[in-house]
Amino acid sequence: MNRISSQALSLAPPAIRALVVLNAIYAVCLIAAFTYSFFITGWPVRPLGAELVAQHPRIGIGLRTIVVIGLLGAGVMHTILRRLLAIVGTVREGNPFILDNARRLEQIAWRLVALEVLRVCVAAVAAATWEAGRISAFSIAPWLAVLLLFVLAGVFAHGSRMRDDLDGTV
Amino acid sequence: MAIRVRLDEKLHERRMTLTELAARVDITLANLSILKTGKARAIRFSTLEAICDALQCQPGELLEFRAGGDVNDAS
Repeated sequence: MNRISSQALSLAPPAIRALVVLNAIYAVCLIAAFTYSFFITGWPVRPLGAELVAQHPRIGIGLRTIVVIGLLGAGVMHTILRRLLAIVGTVREGNPFILDNARRLEQIAWRLVALEVLRVCVAAVAAATWEAGRISAFSIAPWLAVLLLFVLAGVFAHGSRMRDDLDGTV
Repeated sequence: MAIRVRLDEKLHERRMTLTELAARVDITLANLSILKTGKARAIRFSTLEAICDALQCQPGELLEFRAGGDVNDAS
C-alpha cells in the first residue's frame, strides 16, 4: 500500500465520524427550520419579502417541501456513512475482501442513486414554486460514482470468493 | 478431506519436531499445524518442495489419499 493510501486509511475513520456528526447537525437544523416556519408570523411574506411571494405564491410550500426532501437526504447520507465506516473497519482489520463489503458497496451505490433522485425532486420543486434552473438537477460526477461503486462491489465479491479459495492454503 | 499429510510419521522417522521443521522450511508453526491436523484445504508446490527437501522424502511418501472421503474417519 502506498503512503498516500495508508494515510488516507488512517484518517478515514475520524473523518467519517465527523461527517456523521455534521450530517446529524444538518438534519437537526432542517427539522428546526421546518418546525419554526410554522411559528413565524406572516409566513412566508415576512421572512421572504412581499415582492418575492407575489411573484411566486407557492414559494413557501416549496421551501418546506425542499426541507423535507433534505431531511430524507440526510437520512440516506447517514446510512451511507455507517456502511463506509464498516468497510474501513474491515480494511484496518486486514480482512476487507468479504461478501459483506460487496453488499455494503452495492447498498451505498443504490443510496447514491436515491440521493440523485432526491436532487432531481428538489430541482423540480424549485422549478414549480420558484424559478426553473435555479437549482441544478443533473451532474455527471455522482452518476460516475454510482457506476464506480457497482463495479467495486463486483470486484469485492470476486475478491471475497478468491479469498475463500485461498483460505486454508498452506 | 480425503488427502492426508503424513507429517507425523515423517517427522518421527527423521527424529525432528514440528518446531524444528518450521524453522528449516520457513513456514510458520501455525501453518504446519494446519497441515498436520488435516485442516488445510490446499498446499502450494513451493511448500511441498520445502517440506520434502527438509524431510528428504518424495511427495508421494508425504501424501496419502483414501477414496470415499475423510481420511480421519475411523474405518
